Amino acid sequence: MIEAINVSKHYTLKEKKRWFRSEKKTIEAVKELNLSINKGEIIGLLGLNGAGKTTTIKMLSTLLKPSSGTITVDGVDIETNPMEVKRKVNMIAGGERMLYWRLTGYENLIYFGKLYGLAGDVLRNRCQSLLENMGLGEAAHIPVERYSKGMKQRLQIARGLINDPTYLFLDEPTLGLDAPVAKHLRKSVKELAHQQGKGILLTSHYLEEVEELCDKVYIIDKGIMVLEDTPKNIIETFVKEFRVTVEVQNASTEQIHSVQRRIHEKGASFVSTEAAGGFVFEVISPFDATPLAASVCFELGLDIQRLETKKPKLEDAIIQMSEGLSA
Amino acid sequence: MWLPFSATFKRNFIVMKRAYPWSFFIGHILSGAYIVFFAYLSYTFVFNKDMDTRFTAYAGTNDYLSYVILGGVFFSFAVSMLMIVSRSIISELREGTLEALLLTPSSRKGYFLGTMSQGLTRAGIELLSILVIGFFFGLQMAIQDPIAVIILFIILLFSLFSQALVLGAFMLYFRDTYITQNTLFVLMGLVCGVTFPAAYLPNYVEWLSYCMPLTYGIDAFRMVMTEGETLAGIQFNLFYMMAAGILYLVIGSIAIKRMEYVVLEKHFG
Amino acid sequence: MKIAEIILAEISKSHRHNFHNRMVYFSLLIWPALLFVTAYYSFKPFNLESSSPVFDHIQTDSLILFLLTGYLGYIFFWSLVQSAWQMAHERQSGTLEIVFLSPVSRYTLMFGRAAGNLIEAVWMFTAFAVIAMASVAGIESIAWWNVPIAFFILAFSAIIWGGFLNIVFLFSRDAGILFTVLEEPMQFFSGVRIPVLALPLWGKTIAYMFPLTYVLDIMRELLLEGASVVQLGTSLGLLGVVLLVLCSASFFILRRAEQHARTTGNMVLF
Repeated sequence: MIEAINVSKHYTLKEKKRWFRSEKKTIEAVKELNLSINKGEIIGLLGLNGAGKTTTIKMLSTLLKPSSGTITVDGVDIETNPMEVKRKVNMIAGGERMLYWRLTGYENLIYFGKLYGLAGDVLRNRCQSLLENMGLGEAAHIPVERYSKGMKQRLQIARGLINDPTYLFLDEPTLGLDAPVAKHLRKSVKELAHQQGKGILLTSHYLEEVEELCDKVYIIDKGIMVLEDTPKNIIETFVKEFRVTVEVQNASTEQIHSVQRRIHEKGASFVSTEAAGGFVFEVISPFDATPLAASVCFELGLDIQRLETKKPKLEDAIIQMSEGLSA
Repeated sequence: MWLPFSATFKRNFIVMKRAYPWSFFIGHILSGAYIVFFAYLSYTFVFNKDMDTRFTAYAGTNDYLSYVILGGVFFSFAVSMLMIVSRSIISELREGTLEALLLTPSSRKGYFLGTMSQGLTRAGIELLSILVIGFFFGLQMAIQDPIAVIILFIILLFSLFSQALVLGAFMLYFRDTYITQNTLFVLMGLVCGVTFPAAYLPNYVEWLSYCMPLTYGIDAFRMVMTEGETLAGIQFNLFYMMAAGILYLVIGSIAIKRMEYVVLEKHFG
Repeated sequence: MKIAEIILAEISKSHRHNFHNRMVYFSLLIWPALLFVTAYYSFKPFNLESSSPVFDHIQTDSLILFLLTGYLGYIFFWSLVQSAWQMAHERQSGTLEIVFLSPVSRYTLMFGRAAGNLIEAVWMFTAFAVIAMASVAGIESIAWWNVPIAFFILAFSAIIWGGFLNIVFLFSRDAGILFTVLEEPMQFFSGVRIPVLALPLWGKTIAYMFPLTYVLDIMRELLLEGASVVQLGTSLGLLGVVLLVLCSASFFILRRAEQHARTTGNMVLF
């Protein structure tokens, strides 16, 4: 388990004024953060405003030193024994960095593998199988500069797995990727956690991705942890609005009025518009009104053409939340 | 330490093979060759071999051409080696691979030594090329003690390596290579006794030459390569370079480590 | 006037682009000053008494004055090599194509750019050189009334040279290597450090391929000998011819390159 206890990080920035004069400014990127990542678990890290996600990931991966607080990885303190921690973690960032473009994919992996103390057949076999798994088997001996964006990203993942880390940090891994590539990547992430038992920390702009993958989500705002829960609970806590759209044919105005009455009785609001050959109405309620709408139509003998429930998403929750915070 | 050393050596070798830094390579050979060539022209045509009376005393030889040619050879070698080692980390930063490198539990010494050893293959070719050019322009060699030359070479390499770490830390601090490196090189060209003995300089400038291991390196190479001096004769230079090298190594290692952190902190998100 | 506007735009752009960093003063003041000092001390091993053969060939009996005027001219020319070199980077980063979309004459742009960069790049070393000349050699050894003329000739020639370089670097991928190869020979053969007259015939031949040689010659006559413009008629005429050749070469290359670029979509000509 990775455990961060009361971790803070502040930067001192020098703002340059005129010649040789500069003003010192302290920026608190992360304040008193507590989090834990278990093996086999995918944790999402979401930020609202100027959040400090990357700072957090860099601290967890030993790149940055926390200003205060402690981080332990399987009980090993990150400050007293960084080398042992480095063996157990790895980080993958989105974009095209962290690879040597002049080397081939295979050469990149060999190089990094050696820096992790691997050598010989063990290393060669691991590089080969990682490249195969990432679908880069054929491109293994082509310099990275000739790779497409998606290929570079997959090679990055292979690089992140070269030391078979117990914990993996993914910083915006699908940034700028095509939809099919991103989908494939999400599948790999799930496998890594659920089948290989790796603990994964993920940050992403794509909230759907976080909702789909993460077992638990941490939300930070201006460096402060504001919420920690499962995506499902977060949605239920914050989203108070469910929408159901129903399209019916051959209905009279009276029938629609009685639908409206029944729906109002249950405490939901109702909007209807006349459409070609019938009506379209929308039910907005603080609960899921799908069964209600269906049963009302059924009782009145209306001919349902279409019934659509818009499920609240994590995105809606986050928007609600950030509006609440900034208000 | 061996794995990062050999891995970095191999990696740089592949990169060099694929994208040979021709402009650096040619630039270094030329800068050495030009020193040799222009010294020859000045000596032969402009001053008609008419020397200053103090030169022999200051330089320890009256062979001006050999003096300048060895100066050019080792000055451009030093520039090459300093550049190769000092630019390595900032290049990682620019190419976006620094974080991936720092994530690994590998020895940084192995990394730097690998970079230097690989660079040595290139800088060595440059050195030999300039030396060969030197023979055409009047270099007279008289080596009595080849072992001394080898030991001197290794110690010079060590002191340059250490100095390069300090230079590399400056580069990371200023986020610049061009200005930082060339300011040092222009200064070295003035004070290290490349084309004239540092003793000609005013005292308040001459002390700068004490900070540069290259001053003692060039001086010692002249003694063992053209004056037939033995190991015993260059003892002082060797000790001085060792001491300066150790000092720079300590400062450089600490400074580079600190700058790595500073650089990472500057990119926060 | 259009050209003035372009020069101003170029000055303010290069100022903001290159001068945000104070370190640029190193390349514009400290390096040339150190190179000058190094060149001076490199002569120390030689006989520098008044009996020295070098004084047969130079206009002054002060080596420092000779070198200062030399480096002053050199820095004008060399700073434009640097700025042309930077333009090659601009081409790679793509900003140049956008500039070319604008309805500005390319020649105006290329020469305007040279002029704009020149002023930025040389004023510091110029100030240094003038102060150094006055303090080292004494005020009376310089023909001060000729200073404006000398600077005009120097700046004008440098701009023609700079425009030519801009065009060459604009359409060439490997001009950077030219920079490496020619930088020091220009310093040596143009008479920056040693008198051209002392060189053997083949050396003089190389020397007169660099426009800087003609400029330095005229500059030294003006500043150190106090010669009048009329006396220098022949030299000035020769310089004019050289600059005319440079101009026509610029014109020719630019036209060829633009045709090439529009048919092949490739900015690189050679």
